[in-house]
Amino acid sequence: MSIQGPLGAAARARLQRALVAVVGADGVLADAADLRVYECDGYTIERSVPALVVLPRTTDEVARVVRLAAEAEVAFVPRGAGTGLSGGCLPGEAPLMICTSRMRRIRMLDVANRRVVAEAGVVNATVSRAVRDAGLYYVPDPSSQNACTIGGNVAENSGGPHTLKYGVTTNHVLGVELVLADGEVVELGGVIEDTPGYDLTGVVCGSEGTFGIVTAATLRLEPLPEAVTTLLAVFETVAAATATVSRIIAAGIVPAALEMMDRTIVEAIEAAYHAGFPTDAGAVLIIELDGPAAGLPALAARVEELCRVGGMRSVRTAADEAERAAIWKSRKRAFGAVGRLSPSYCTQDGVVPRTRLPEILMRIEEIGARYGLRIGNVFHAGDGNIHPVILFDERDRAETARVLSAGREILAACVALGGSITGEHGIGVEKIRELGLSFGPDDLALMRRLRGVFDPAGRANPGKIFPTAAGCTEQRAPRRQAAL
Amino acid sequence: MSGGDPVRAGGETAPAGDAVTGDVAARHALAIAGVVPEAVVTPATRAALTADVRAAAAAGAAVVPLGLGAHRALGHAPARYDVALSTRALATVVEYAPADMTVTVESGLTLAALDTILARHGQWLPLDPPCPERTTVGGLIAADLAGPLRASQGRVRDFVIGIAMVTADGGEARAGGRVVKNVAGYDLMKLLIGSLGTLAVVTEATLKVRPRPDVTRVLELACVDRAAALTLAPRLAELGEVALAITMIDATDVPRPTWRCLLGGVAADVETVRGRLLDAARAAGAEVVYDGDGTSPESGALVAAARDLPRRAAGDLVTRAVALRTRAVRVAAEMLACVDDAQVRACFDPRAGTVTLAVATADAAAAIARLRAIASRHEATFVVERWPDVLAASVEVWSPVPRSLPLMRRIKAALDPAGTLAPGRFVARL
Repeated sequence: MSIQGPLGAAARARLQRALVAVVGADGVLADAADLRVYECDGYTIERSVPALVVLPRTTDEVARVVRLAAEAEVAFVPRGAGTGLSGGCLPGEAPLMICTSRMRRIRMLDVANRRVVAEAGVVNATVSRAVRDAGLYYVPDPSSQNACTIGGNVAENSGGPHTLKYGVTTNHVLGVELVLADGEVVELGGVIEDTPGYDLTGVVCGSEGTFGIVTAATLRLEPLPEAVTTLLAVFETVAAATATVSRIIAAGIVPAALEMMDRTIVEAIEAAYHAGFPTDAGAVLIIELDGPAAGLPALAARVEELCRVGGMRSVRTAADEAERAAIWKSRKRAFGAVGRLSPSYCTQDGVVPRTRLPEILMRIEEIGARYGLRIGNVFHAGDGNIHPVILFDERDRAETARVLSAGREILAACVALGGSITGEHGIGVEKIRELGLSFGPDDLALMRRLRGVFDPAGRANPGKIFPTAAGCTEQRAPRRQAAL
Repeated sequence: MSGGDPVRAGGETAPAGDAVTGDVAARHALAIAGVVPEAVVTPATRAALTADVRAAAAAGAAVVPLGLGAHRALGHAPARYDVALSTRALATVVEYAPADMTVTVESGLTLAALDTILARHGQWLPLDPPCPERTTVGGLIAADLAGPLRASQGRVRDFVIGIAMVTADGGEARAGGRVVKNVAGYDLMKLLIGSLGTLAVVTEATLKVRPRPDVTRVLELACVDRAAALTLAPRLAELGEVALAITMIDATDVPRPTWRCLLGGVAADVETVRGRLLDAARAAGAEVVYDGDGTSPESGALVAAARDLPRRAAGDLVTRAVALRTRAVRVAAEMLACVDDAQVRACFDPRAGTVTLAVATADAAAAIARLRAIASRHEATFVVERWPDVLAASVEVWSPVPRSLPLMRRIKAALDPAGTLAPGRFVARL
């Protein structure tokens, strides 16, 4: 049942010819320069170049490509836009990369029933743009939403800043079309919420391409909120800001988003985008409230009061949609801005129960100090989903080693506080070793058994999530990481 | 820190001691479709439960996991039913951190008991299946139960963030965790939700909870007839998130069809939506027969009655159809018309698209066939939630049969190769 490792030249040529017969010459990339583009995703610490990249246009083409791979006993790795942050579409042990980027059709749009069927390569933000005039939107909005695809979102069960009130990708996906590793096309779920049988749509969400390739998804749309208020609350210290987060939640208020940035991040954002954030403040909270218009002003006043009690220095309310958009643009491009502060940086993605935020932030500070590393924090405070950004210089090997150790310690601290090693970036190759912090051998054995049902030969995205015999690369040299 | 430290509480409702009984009355009390188990086992600890499943698996016995058995009518008759394994004695609150808006409980805790605990901190689990005092968290998950709150608040799958289970071979496993955002490992919570105990026994769950609304209000609108009531549906369906529940009730023993509406949120929003609701009622010539604060006993009784209606009815046939919003009114109208000759109690939720009927009829098989045909014509899913025992061999509980049934069979075979857990109970008698 074992799968091919590296593809021999003859086998590669044979497979290339067969693929061209399915998708045409313009749908297969085989030149070294072309392939190099696909050597990594947003997690750039590990790289490996695929032997072949194929760009099918339809589900049928994907199925035929996958069948060719099965016949040739070649493993494949699915890829959307490559914005993932855990190396989920690193080729690694899979010579053949199947890219969904040419599958960009919105197959069905049903405004009255708030449903859309989008092919895997449709860009996240495109969905919301397509339905905006009808007063609807697709809620999950990861920071990479202008590039990342629906297929990738499903594979990673992507989050974003608005998960606190609205949930993550899986809460908005009603069905998927999935090509199994033997080329069989299965339809799971559908436009009706409770289709009979096991909720396999829910199981496929977040399976990181290890069950096959999602070629289309049925998504639930929501009506645009009647009103939105976005507050920018400035605090002297991170501790005061995080205590305020807990206070807002404890008051029974569930904001649409509750985001925090510390001084390091605010400085970077200001330097890059001049959004008018105060660079001398200890921390900034972005608090977004949405809902019916009548109650919103009173709710915003309550939140402001809670911030004031928590020692808020000043507050700014976005006057209009343009100002709101500017705030979010800055927040969503925070990681890009960090590049101004340091030659390299590395982002972690841990979760703690939100009441433990003060503790994890103290631990991060302590870990940074001990390793002599500068660490900025920008995160989804309402969810307890932290993104410590470790600044360093990759040319300094010793410092790089310290970054990896510090990152691991931070994740271990998250688990010790009752949290998780990943809130939205996935395990991929990045956290294979850390998965054991969250789950025991029996838990992982059960998950593997399930994987075996979907992909008995282990041809769909091998070497991700679970350690394999081939193992993941030991030597890791962190470089840049793209936006969240 | 607001909300304080996690509350740890004992399972005060748990009867002491592991209990295995071959008592005839106890066994018959948990019969499913006329099939009576050989024994009722009520393990006092999770370790005992694990050992019980392992022993059953070793002996080749079939185990049907249950809480209190309140919803056991759902699903096919078990192909084999040696042991009724009740989780009722596992009712501990493992961890409750109000400020984290999460709670971890053992699966035998009832929803009513959980609600009492959450209410002390101004929170709730906004899932409202019938009979919360007899519904356990495990049952909620296994049967994927829902109620009138479903359209506004979401379903079981939106609230379960972590799970502990005993597998069919008597092993223990976990998935998810205790934090609201977590993508580590496969989402096995989703696999178990609605699986009717066919893949594993849920022993513990971590749930997201929410703040209770500041203000609630209950309104009841009585319409002159069914047609008038159904005409109101599209308008009520647009009331938005403040309308927590919108349920039309139409029953042979109720003089006029009524809309029962639960509103909740901040005061200003509730008042606005109440105004819209009253406008809609006026325009449709509906009479406002109740308009009261949601916390009053009368309001509570109205809400509970709408929630429990499918289970409280005398009839032994209960069906539920789920249709797309645009077709839901037609499905409701046609289904109601098609059982007009019988004693009927019906609930219709125009946002979730659900039509639930409790029917007392001499010919249940014919009624099922007619209702299923309507569902099928409108591309609705259809579940026969309760049916007379005589139909055990012939009834098809779920339709349509999922296209991915072969994959589902493979999952059942991989996770329960010996057919230890609830054999024959699930879709296509898996």
